Amino acid sequence: MSAPVKAPVRKAKAARGDQVTRFGLAGGGSLHVAESHAVPLVSITIAFRSGSASDPAGKEGAAKLAFRMLRRGSRTHSAKEIEDELDRLGAELSTEVSVSSSAIHGQVIERNLGAFVDLLTALLGEPAFPEDELDRLKRETLAELVEARDSDRALAQQAFRRSVFTGHPYARGATGTRKTVTGLALEDVRAAYRTHFVQGNVALGFCGDVETTRAQSLAQRIAGALAAGPRVPDPVGAPGRIPGRRLVFVDKPERTQTQILIGGLGTSPHDHDHVALSVANAVFGGSFTSRLMREVRSKRGWSYGAYARLSVDKQRQAFSMWTFPAATDAPSCIALELELLEAFVAKGVDARELSFIKKFLGRSYAFDIDTASKRLHQALDVEVLDLPADYYSGYLARLAEVTVPQANAAVAARLTADDVLVVVVGTAAELEEKVRAIIPRLGEHRVVPFDREE
Amino acid sequence: MPVADIHHRIAAAVNASSKGSALVHYIGEHAFGPSKVVRYALSNGLTVLLLLDQTAPVVSYFTWFKVGSRHEKPGKTGLAHLFEHLMFNETEHLKAGEFDKKLEESGAESNAATWVDWTYYHESVPKDRLGLVIKLESDRMHNLVLRDAQVTSEKEVVANERRFRVDDDVEGAASELLYKTAFVEHSYQWPTIGWMDDIQAFTPEDCDAFYRTFYAPNNATVVVVGDFNEKRLLEQLRDAYGELSAAVIPPDDACPEPPQLEPRSIEIKKPTATEKLLVGYHGPALGDVGHAPLTLLNEVLFGGRASRLYRALVTVGEICTDLRAWVSTFADGGLYEIYATARTGKTIADIEAVLYAELARVRDEVVTADELVRAKARLELGLLQSLETMGGKAEQIGFYETVLGDPSAAFQRLEVYRRMTASDLRKAARRYIVDRGRTTIRVLPDGSATGEAEAAH
Repeated sequence: MSAPVKAPVRKAKAARGDQVTRFGLAGGGSLHVAESHAVPLVSITIAFRSGSASDPAGKEGAAKLAFRMLRRGSRTHSAKEIEDELDRLGAELSTEVSVSSSAIHGQVIERNLGAFVDLLTALLGEPAFPEDELDRLKRETLAELVEARDSDRALAQQAFRRSVFTGHPYARGATGTRKTVTGLALEDVRAAYRTHFVQGNVALGFCGDVETTRAQSLAQRIAGALAAGPRVPDPVGAPGRIPGRRLVFVDKPERTQTQILIGGLGTSPHDHDHVALSVANAVFGGSFTSRLMREVRSKRGWSYGAYARLSVDKQRQAFSMWTFPAATDAPSCIALELELLEAFVAKGVDARELSFIKKFLGRSYAFDIDTASKRLHQALDVEVLDLPADYYSGYLARLAEVTVPQANAAVAARLTADDVLVVVVGTAAELEEKVRAIIPRLGEHRVVPFDREE
Repeated sequence: MPVADIHHRIAAAVNASSKGSALVHYIGEHAFGPSKVVRYALSNGLTVLLLLDQTAPVVSYFTWFKVGSRHEKPGKTGLAHLFEHLMFNETEHLKAGEFDKKLEESGAESNAATWVDWTYYHESVPKDRLGLVIKLESDRMHNLVLRDAQVTSEKEVVANERRFRVDDDVEGAASELLYKTAFVEHSYQWPTIGWMDDIQAFTPEDCDAFYRTFYAPNNATVVVVGDFNEKRLLEQLRDAYGELSAAVIPPDDACPEPPQLEPRSIEIKKPTATEKLLVGYHGPALGDVGHAPLTLLNEVLFGGRASRLYRALVTVGEICTDLRAWVSTFADGGLYEIYATARTGKTIADIEAVLYAELARVRDEVVTADELVRAKARLELGLLQSLETMGGKAEQIGFYETVLGDPSAAFQRLEVYRRMTASDLRKAARRYIVDRGRTTIRVLPDGSATGEAEAAH
């Protein structure tokens, strides 16, 4: 499908949550409301404090199937009737399952809000889980797993996740594998539903063109559709660092370009130096004028984009650098990135860089709270990911306090250029040997066919 | 006081304080849902469209130029897009890299996009930084410096962009081939990102000539949505842009596409596990009366999980994994595109059998009343979703102004949709979904990706 050729958004993230009202719900859940009457739309998010990490070993993909099955039939509606009704109401519904949390997102034209909540309540509280629909959805999921291999970026992300977190739940994908999805039975899906869909495990969010009092009343109906039950405990422990420099080369034919991810363990939202590290990372690769972007794109033109990212979850997540140079430039680009990382870990950032990025992050916070939807999702993140209560609301104050020594101590303590994983998606016959040769002190290395499941 | 009088008075007050010859002219208002877009023009032809929105202390600023890949020549394809990249470089007043630094220091979000008919540049900033954006944008409209080193480096960046968008992307490669095959005369035949050989051959002189030809105030529209003071904003725009010279914009040189008299088809092989089909029918221009009914019909056929083809090919038929369709929104007639990905074990022939039967059905029979209701609700939802942010509003205003000359056309389309009957949709099907005007791109696996490696290892 053709599309405009769009430049990458030149921005980075900073945030503060406010103007969201929180209420407790009977049964242990919570409600968060952010009113905005600018456009006659209402969004409803049902956030769950648990995700695919709760899938039993060998049953990976069960939670995601349970969420997707909700629109495949309820006691009162067939799958077709659900889809027809959503369209008729001018509504959309989607589900999202990640390792530590899950969500159902809905949006509807305001005049149909009541009818939309009726439908949502039926789907949540009275799912039918028809067996023929489950079989159909499993076949659909298996086809999607094959199709996902067309995306080199997705292949790189999958290989990175699997190897940075080897042996840890963060290595698993929420979708599961061909083997686990094939083996999932109706009872596994029902069990996943019973685990996650309980009152104490949810945080409800309303935003948009809805009065708070009405949101409260509708939220009680939605929560009341769920069984009583406590929140699901997080089964995930802290991941461990894997020593040495490693290379995973994902071999795919005819690649003129490579996808490269380099990194290791990063930050936890509960670290005392979390904000200091995030700020330093923004200097390194979190903005359009960052070191990585300047060296890789602006000076050399090697990659359209060059970014460094710190992922955030309940436990320590990954630090990663992402570039996508032409195959011919890939070895040099990897060498440069490792050099830049070594310099970053050894020397950190300077006062001028820190001052600049603090202005950027501080002023751009306006765009993290400029819509009701963004404010609501901050509040829900705090709730379901167990972030510190002032994670967003205290961000600006913590940002202002970050000093050069603090930023550099955080970089030195949390990041390393020694224990790093390099993932390359490219054509191995043409490139793998050159990549291996250019990584100093490379330890374990392997080539993985792009269409192989592990 | 009547609203028009207020804006006339504001313009008069702005002009009274002018130290130069530049004047601001109030042109009129356009209803934009419950709000109003106010139109002004500067003496040099710059169009200014303003929408006050005080829901957050931020401002969204778009600069639209009526230049895109349709204005290029064979051998020079991709110039509009390469040039968009170069606009973030050096000016007579700013060293290379300073543009982005100044915006980032202000906490701005910024980006840009180029397509067949237009190019835009966008910044969203806290409201107290609006003055900086106006200075930066007016400066690069007139004072850009194009040096060999920057052009060389940016060509390499764009070549890399092409590799990930097209050369290593199955759908991107198929889409490029579809337009190349379906159009033989019109400049929509080449991709906006350009052919690789053309990208690599550009010189600073090519870029400079393009800049002098198309980047002028009388070829641009500035759209501002957000929390601003109208008089102060107009003074700033006058001071920043007022003295820039208008240019002689060459008349549109795109050749009309002759009617396609027989189906065209191309087959390619790619390292993918499954077969893919891309179909294009010659469609209406955005401003044609047939555009709205064909868009509604597309919702009935492909819009969401309840649509006819999604059920027939994905959920119930289990032939496809992915299925999408889109009526191009171009200034001249584009394509009605349909993209389908077969599941393992299914073929393009399986897809075509179902697809063409359903397309024949909407030429023969009218859609049901319920299908029409659902399609209208889906399009209404889509429009409202596009207006949730200031940037979204500014983009809608600028897009419709640039392509149709009417910043509020999005809402007028909604009214048109509401009036549409099932008979209107059938007429659109009969007019546009015709076999002789069809182009198909068939993507076949080249055998390197079987999807069975798991078993092999």
